[in-house]
Amino acid sequence: MTTVAPERTEQAQETWKGQNVPRKEDRRLVQGQGVFVDDVKRHGMGYLHFVRSPYAHAHIASIDVSKAEEHPAVYGTLTGEEVAALTDPFFQISSAPGANVKDYALAVGKVRYVGEPIVAVVAETREAARDASELVEIEYEPLDAITDARHARDDGVPTIHEDAGGNLMWEGVYEWGDLDAAFAEADKVVKIDELHFHRFNSTPLECDGALVEYNRGVGQWTIHTNNQFPGFAAIMMGPAMRVGLDKLRFVTQDIGGGFGNKITSHPQLVACCLLARKLNRPVQWTEWRTDFHLSMSHGNERWFLETEVAVKSDGTLLGFRTKALDDAGAYLRYEPLGGVIWAQVTPGMYKWQHIRLEFTQVATNKAPVSPNRGYSRMQHLWFTERVIDIVAHELDLDPVEVRKRNYIKAEDMPYTTPNGCVYDSGDYAKMLDIALDLVDYRGLAGRRAEAAARGRLLGLGIGSTLDSGTNNFGQSRLINPELQFSGNNEVATVKLDIFGEIVVTLGTTPQGQSHETTAAQVVADILKCSIDDVHVRAGHDSYWNSHAGFSGTYASQFAVTGLGAVKGATEMLRDQILTLAGAVFGGVPPEALELADGGVRMRENHEAFLPFMACGAIINANNAGLPEDLDVTLNCRYVYRPPFEVPDVERKYGNLTLTYASQVHVAVIEVDPETGYYDIVDYAAVDDCGRRINPQIVEGQVMGATAQALGAATHEQFVYDEDGNLLTPNFYDYHVPHALDMPPLQTGYVESPSPFTSLGTKGMGEGGGAGIHAVCAAVQDALREHGGAVVWDSCNPYHRVWEMLNDPAKGARVQVTGVGSTEPAKSGGAGSAGPESGTDA
Amino acid sequence: MLLREVAYAKPESLAEALEILAADDGARALAGGQTLINVMKARAGSPDALVDLNGLDELKGIELGADGTLELGAMTTYSEIIASSEARARPILGEVCAQIADVQVRNRGTIGGNACTNDPTNHLPPLLAALGARFTIAGADGERTVPADEFFLGVYLTAVGTGELLTRITIPAGRNDGFAAVTLGIEGTCIVSAAASLNGSARLALGCVDAVPVVLTPSSTDADAVRQAVRDASLDPPADVHASADYRRHLAEVLAVRAIEHAQRS
Amino acid sequence: MTTSAVPTERTISVTVNGTTYEREVEARKLLIHFIRDDLDLTGSHIGCDTGNCGACSVIVDGTLVKSCMMLAVQADGARVETVEGLAAGEELSKLQQAFTAHHALQCGYCTPGMLMSATALLRANPSPSDEEIKKALQGNICRCTGYWNIFEAVKAAAE
Repeated sequence: MTTVAPERTEQAQETWKGQNVPRKEDRRLVQGQGVFVDDVKRHGMGYLHFVRSPYAHAHIASIDVSKAEEHPAVYGTLTGEEVAALTDPFFQISSAPGANVKDYALAVGKVRYVGEPIVAVVAETREAARDASELVEIEYEPLDAITDARHARDDGVPTIHEDAGGNLMWEGVYEWGDLDAAFAEADKVVKIDELHFHRFNSTPLECDGALVEYNRGVGQWTIHTNNQFPGFAAIMMGPAMRVGLDKLRFVTQDIGGGFGNKITSHPQLVACCLLARKLNRPVQWTEWRTDFHLSMSHGNERWFLETEVAVKSDGTLLGFRTKALDDAGAYLRYEPLGGVIWAQVTPGMYKWQHIRLEFTQVATNKAPVSPNRGYSRMQHLWFTERVIDIVAHELDLDPVEVRKRNYIKAEDMPYTTPNGCVYDSGDYAKMLDIALDLVDYRGLAGRRAEAAARGRLLGLGIGSTLDSGTNNFGQSRLINPELQFSGNNEVATVKLDIFGEIVVTLGTTPQGQSHETTAAQVVADILKCSIDDVHVRAGHDSYWNSHAGFSGTYASQFAVTGLGAVKGATEMLRDQILTLAGAVFGGVPPEALELADGGVRMRENHEAFLPFMACGAIINANNAGLPEDLDVTLNCRYVYRPPFEVPDVERKYGNLTLTYASQVHVAVIEVDPETGYYDIVDYAAVDDCGRRINPQIVEGQVMGATAQALGAATHEQFVYDEDGNLLTPNFYDYHVPHALDMPPLQTGYVESPSPFTSLGTKGMGEGGGAGIHAVCAAVQDALREHGGAVVWDSCNPYHRVWEMLNDPAKGARVQVTGVGSTEPAKSGGAGSAGPESGTDA
Repeated sequence: MLLREVAYAKPESLAEALEILAADDGARALAGGQTLINVMKARAGSPDALVDLNGLDELKGIELGADGTLELGAMTTYSEIIASSEARARPILGEVCAQIADVQVRNRGTIGGNACTNDPTNHLPPLLAALGARFTIAGADGERTVPADEFFLGVYLTAVGTGELLTRITIPAGRNDGFAAVTLGIEGTCIVSAAASLNGSARLALGCVDAVPVVLTPSSTDADAVRQAVRDASLDPPADVHASADYRRHLAEVLAVRAIEHAQRS
Repeated sequence: MTTSAVPTERTISVTVNGTTYEREVEARKLLIHFIRDDLDLTGSHIGCDTGNCGACSVIVDGTLVKSCMMLAVQADGARVETVEGLAAGEELSKLQQAFTAHHALQCGYCTPGMLMSATALLRANPSPSDEEIKKALQGNICRCTGYWNIFEAVKAAAE
């Protein structure tokens, strides 16, 4: 694996930021001393097992828990009936009809997907809870299931949520520019019948879990859990449980991966809370792999139907219209925010101005969808990359040239997109060049011939993507104008303790993103001390009061929000230290002082030095004689707020995210045409996330995102049969990449600092699925001279590649029509290598 | 993930093991556990009692006879086969064992367990069938030995009955063997597999296309003849999330040819 | 029904990282649950329920195994090594240090199992090739790192 660094202008060398400082987290993790939620134990705790629905869709005729309750080791149970009496349905983000969905902690009256929790059983041991769950008797009246979003609104199809009156959950039309003018100006219109972004997720190795204790004296729950967005969980749980948010204390230390998939565990957490109170004992819930696959956080499955692209003959893209059909699964847990979040990257990385997207989200009898790494932007960016590649394919143009012709240029930055988002910085063409260089693009023809001599079809594909970070939650009003959310925030506190110890608390919930380390780097640079002197508390605890409404770790924002809060708090602390020292030195102004060597000294006289320990001691324990108006606590709390306005709901216009990291990947594959099997033989990933606080950590995120994207591109799918049974409910059938599956990887980077953030950083981490875009493009390229099939699905396992080789016309069904030109219309699903082409075998 | 209550015995002799199995028809042999324990975690199958064979030296060991015949104790692990100099007399054995799952599984999983499970996607049933392996089964009435086509009877079903145990697998002498598979990820679960043996006439066994390995004897090792032999078998393979029936049928032809080619090169 | 002669529980004696524990356990208890729940050694983790992820990997009598596919009763009389036994007091093993130096972990959940597999590899093969390293780690899933840094760390510890 090699890494390429670009030339860069010299900038002032700071001691800690920009360095590959070894991680503070590692010492405990390599010794198995991390504290993950299942490691937390309480005396007398009961183990919880959920009885889950075997049907995709059914009325619950009756539930009898008596036999389970009689089991000698069972402490108690919880049913939907109790939940409906004790709680109100979860708040729905959506406007009508989705607003009318009733969602509770357990199924009430009806089950809507295989794996839906119906009854909770709590017992003395894990095994006993599992055994007793088999004693719960449930009678069902099965109903037909709907599993294909394209048919969710057909006549006669079963309605999943009667309260919503049908399976439509949300719809909205987005349109900017002048579509009619764009299509009139076009030389050609490329029509793509159907593209499909498949259902999968990031399967963090640790599944969800919780240990909930209830303090009956003060009516408060302590929820040890690995939920990665406790701010959201609290907002959902408090009103449902009819308690104030301060009654819900969230505590986590180490989380075994999140990737967005640990945001919507609030229903299970409510069940745990109710049981902890009912049984007056701590309740422990471990989610097993199959439970997770059946019920948690499938990524948005999205169809792009009837796409039309207006193009000039030279490949300049003018605009597109499409119908995005999103399959939300059985409940709206974080949805329909996916219906607007894609708009952070409306034009992808391209300059087109005229865009129309009709977004429709429907319910189906499948697991509820909720955020997955690259949430909703990945699906849209995949779409734009497919469009680029298919246009290039159909017009016989070079995909590299088409990208460069249409990429937003570095000199156009900051760039305002058709819907008012502002891309802060980036040089996409340069990244593409670096990536192509890394895979020796110039030698491609030779490589192709050499592979052909071995009977292999070589393909090269480009995947470019954006990682928009730091959300403006005001975009939720484009989904539902009644919502009162906007902006964003994150909190940090930094204090000097009585012995001068620097202690930092964060509102974030890292699941591997190295927050303790990068936060310490920022603090150490400001306080001019060693990184070893900065102690960042591990994890999250709402008792620290170091959180606000949007606290958590999601949506690629820590480097901006979290570090912005750390910087703000540390600068406050620095200023207070200077003020205190000034007072202690007898009225010296702050400008005459500086921080150095773990203390504060006079610039003109370094002998006048007050170590941090003295500062801490004075304020905490020795403060007599200090000026009355001295506003110094040495305990600084800062709330970072990005500069956002509430978007224009009418025009659906406004800045939805603060920063835009970018990645360009190139994949080189070799296909075995006899079997459809393919290998990735070469791979380059180039990223730009602005200023890198810890380059090694950034690169680690890029690599991890790449590996997950490659898994999703080749094997990982949540596939349902027509009865709503999940055919990939565990790691046996849902293959995630292992060590042998990894291609050789080369990485490169560019640093285009963000002009909008205090550190020049951009959030990064999600990645945007560039690996998926690149592999799809590579497969299409490999098949170009062998049937010319167009890749239309984001997942291309071997059998699909084989099918594309054998039946190229099946699939995307692309049509190119000339508009106002003398060229004849070209049609047919497959190759377009020339006017004579029909479907080649 | 959590097993049902089960009784557990660790016999110290084959005779003792057979006795326990005969006394309780809800008792099952526990070999490597790399399949059975997962089945029990899923509660897809819950024996009343487990008879742990891991203490039975009688079931271990690899012997190479003067005539080149290999005798492998049923409790020989994949790792032991890979490391064994005796097993190198039939190199395909170690080669295929090295493709099974991962090193942790190979350290516990056994050749006997693999054969007796007879999961259609297992590597060893088609290989053993192609090699003409013979299976020795011990019971209350003594021992009997059956060939592969009388051993593999159905999905998860073999000739080993209640109260019986597979004790050893005998592989005749030979060296010209091949194996080809398309798997889920590199060296993953087989989607379709093919094993070939060219000692004397060509013998081919296809895996993942039927309940048991499909054994074919093509008229020649010619690619066309091999493909024709597969077509003549009129396969009706299962369709699942990884492959359609058509795709499996097609792969069977391609992999049969490749397995033969591998055998010719070996 | 169960033959009354064959018990569903057993008293076992297991030595873990040098300490011998005697416990009565149900036969159905998986070794990983025994290690985590009964012995409070929570460094070994559980990431799946089909024996695919390797987070539970430990070394039993010198052999690398996935402890979710062994019963605790099968470890009676055995010597078990887990991640908690890798460091010598305050001093981390070469592999543990290499993992830190090469950023071979992010969330840390797969790391104990990964370290046990790498430890087993280097004991048997002190200078493994790149391919041998990958093959040795094939049974350990990581979702955070993409494995590349893990390969580098094992190589570095091997030199």
